[in-house]
Amino acid sequence: MTEPIIRVERVSKSFGRVIALRDVSLSVQPGQVTCLLGDNGAGKSTLIQILAGVHRPTGGHYLVDGEAVQFNSPREALTRGIATVYQDLALIPLLSVWRNFFLGAEPCRGAGILRRIDVGYCERVARQELEHLGVSLRDSAQAVGTLSGGERQAVAIARALHFGARVLILDEPTAALGVKQATAVLGFIARARDRGVGVVFVTHNPRQAHPIGDRFVVLRRGEVLGDYRKSHIGLERLADMMAGGDAPSSRLMEQQN
Amino acid sequence: MKLLVRPEASAAAGALLIWLLFAAIAGPPFRSLEGAAAALNAAAPLGILAVAVALLMIAGEFDLSVGSIIGAAGMSVMLLTRHFDWSLWPAIALTVLLCAAIGFGNGYLVVRTGLPSFIVTLGSLFVFRGLTIAVSRQLTQRTQLGGLDEVAGYRAAQTLLGGDLVGPFQVSILWWIGLAALATWVLLRTRFGNWIFATGGAPEAARKLGVPVARVKIVLFILTALAACLVAVIQAVRFAGADALRGEQQEFRAIIAVVIGGTLLTGGYGSAVGAVLGALIFGTVQQGIVITGVDADWFQVFLGSLLVAAVLVNNFVRSRVAGTR
Amino acid sequence: MSGAVKASLSRRLRSGIRALPILTALVTMVACGSESGPSAGKAGAGDAGRSAVRIVMVTHGQTSDPFWSVVANGVADAGRELGVRVEYQAPSSFDMVRMSQLIDAAVASRPSALAVSIPDPSATARSIKAAIAAGIPALSLNAGDEAWERLGLLGHIGQTEYEAGRAAGERLAVHGAKRVLCVNHEVGNTSLDTRCRGLRDGLAKRGAAMLVLGINLADPEDATQRIKNALGRDAAVDGMLTLGPGGAAPALTALRESGHLGRIAIGTFDLTPEVLAAVRDGRLLFAIDQQPYLQGYLAVVLLTKYLETKAIPGGGQLIRTGPSFVTRETAADVIALAKRGIR
Repeated sequence: MTEPIIRVERVSKSFGRVIALRDVSLSVQPGQVTCLLGDNGAGKSTLIQILAGVHRPTGGHYLVDGEAVQFNSPREALTRGIATVYQDLALIPLLSVWRNFFLGAEPCRGAGILRRIDVGYCERVARQELEHLGVSLRDSAQAVGTLSGGERQAVAIARALHFGARVLILDEPTAALGVKQATAVLGFIARARDRGVGVVFVTHNPRQAHPIGDRFVVLRRGEVLGDYRKSHIGLERLADMMAGGDAPSSRLMEQQN
Repeated sequence: MKLLVRPEASAAAGALLIWLLFAAIAGPPFRSLEGAAAALNAAAPLGILAVAVALLMIAGEFDLSVGSIIGAAGMSVMLLTRHFDWSLWPAIALTVLLCAAIGFGNGYLVVRTGLPSFIVTLGSLFVFRGLTIAVSRQLTQRTQLGGLDEVAGYRAAQTLLGGDLVGPFQVSILWWIGLAALATWVLLRTRFGNWIFATGGAPEAARKLGVPVARVKIVLFILTALAACLVAVIQAVRFAGADALRGEQQEFRAIIAVVIGGTLLTGGYGSAVGAVLGALIFGTVQQGIVITGVDADWFQVFLGSLLVAAVLVNNFVRSRVAGTR
Repeated sequence: MSGAVKASLSRRLRSGIRALPILTALVTMVACGSESGPSAGKAGAGDAGRSAVRIVMVTHGQTSDPFWSVVANGVADAGRELGVRVEYQAPSSFDMVRMSQLIDAAVASRPSALAVSIPDPSATARSIKAAIAAGIPALSLNAGDEAWERLGLLGHIGQTEYEAGRAAGERLAVHGAKRVLCVNHEVGNTSLDTRCRGLRDGLAKRGAAMLVLGINLADPEDATQRIKNALGRDAAVDGMLTLGPGGAAPALTALRESGHLGRIAIGTFDLTPEVLAAVRDGRLLFAIDQQPYLQGYLAVVLLTKYLETKAIPGGGQLIRTGPSFVTRETAADVIALAKRGIR
């Protein structure tokens, strides 16, 4: 069994008197998709914010590559290869695909006063990275706003992968998409997984999660309702749990080994 | 059809149609060299402002104080030379520094307080206009000063800034085009340009990706102040004097020119070339009306109609480009 | 009209023609082109040569200003009576940059002749010289009595500011004033500065003194307050001269509110119905009429005649249209004429 890239052990998080998470454990393996399921208010957002470095847990441990870490900002997490794609995608609709792709990391050539962006390189690489996910664009100079919802997700994911993400946290990527687009996104997730990236797929839709996931962690009211490997849980049971079938019980934690 | 979707497309068509319109109505006088010069000379000062204001608006901010800075800078040059007996070029240098400081102040306030730049620079508009009038009256009991042509260094300034380029065409046109070319290059070909777009399009997302949003904005405010300074100095040299009320309402005209040129009021999208075309349309209309022989009061009616029309067209373009319903 | 037009236009927009701003321009321009005002002079007495004559006047005062409205009336009347086309252009505020642009545009339009006011000679010198270099017959009116000759203009029609100021000073001194406030409402206009200078010299001849007070007409409340403050600060002030009706109104208000009406002798430049009423009632000692109607009228007449005969009075001289002092005795007549917009 390979070492998980990141792992949280029994983390809790409170905001004042509100307990958002209690005793949550989760691990992310390279080349695997971990689905984080739960209804609104279950604590999914808080958990991924801890993973992304936005918040520090008030209890428990956060380990990256086996060593304990404390992130002070999302940038620190990013430098460790933990990339998060939020619902707004951090994309600028009016800008072209390649400008969005390389924003903040524009490759330049020339020196001094003639320092300029290497536009050819940007256009080419942006297009290539999208091809790797299976999206072919006519022209990476087209505005992101003209892309479909699924294609925009592809841009955000491809950007994260290109800049060295080892863990990719996707916050409800299919929430606003129709069936066809959502399926395309699942395809991107598969390709990312195939490249050895550890994916955390946050969703409240078990029907989408089940085909793509290798592990399923279900949260309810800040606690882990269940943590299953694919072989140990079927779609019906998963959907049932989401709909509120079982009472929360930490004894249902399936051990890793 | 990609060309039609560029921000400058509607402005270019507009400029061409305006020219054809006046060429038809006003005839040979408009088509003459003097007619073209009259239009371009009127467009140039507005164009210099519009280019800088365009960059700032793409980054999502407004600078309403540029008109007041024009008044202040012109008066600064005159006071330094005529009241304190400096020679011209040191006076210009100090004035440039002063304007840069004003721009920095505007930018810093906006970034620090998070207040809309509309409000902050509206305040600057009054403060600096008031200061210009108060200081000039305090020192000279006048709000209009003349006699710059008697100051050392004037001849060189005339050639470089205030004089004629060739025939009836003024040097200011060259400054305008040069600055527009520089701005376009920065916007489309440099990292900083990408940051300008990002700052206007999605500042939070940009920040997350490491774009120094605050720094971008402050730099752009300094640039608009410097553009105003350039216009003021050019006019002070050309008219051998300054007027405390000079530059009034130029901030609004600049914004209109920028919007006509295809830049969005909401930021994140636009071009410096468009601002050039917007200023050109302005100058052509401004002088074309007079050459046609029409009472100049109708100009304001046209201004208002054009602004509304420009915003409508902008919305249309944006909905096509950004894919919003 | 515009609502329906814009609706059908935006339908065309969807098929890719970005015509809206341009078509709006077209519509507005067509509307403008048919506008008639001071700019349309119908050919009158059937003289074919005259109907081809086009005279453009560029001044620093808008027709919304009652003073310049009278000038424009003079221009329009002359145009109509002579059968020539006349146009009146002015910037929307006191703006020398815009005024020189207007002169440039007027020159580019190749008029038969040009008339300009010169409130700031160094600012508009280049544009005026360009007009003359282009061979356009040009004269000046109203402001510029000290600059017109060296700029190469054919003549100047107006009132010499210095002499008017001096005459006013003499009148006030004769009346008994010893310390007179010169209220300048347009600081920067060199003509007004000259009036104050003339006032000072006219007073000095009879041993009286002058002080200058600048006011900003954009805020009449503030102007009134300033005058009151000035009176309060210096109790020895016993005379006042305002340089225009814009200054006269706040001055009279200030005098009334501070109770000085009657104690302080006050005269003013230029006429308005309010000023004339004040003269008739004795609140103002006199009003100086530079006879703006004649400035506009004569400018057009002299230029038309020059085009036809190459003759100009005095071979190129300053033609005085003032100062004419309107006093209590003559006020009633002038009021009647002012109602017709010609005084």
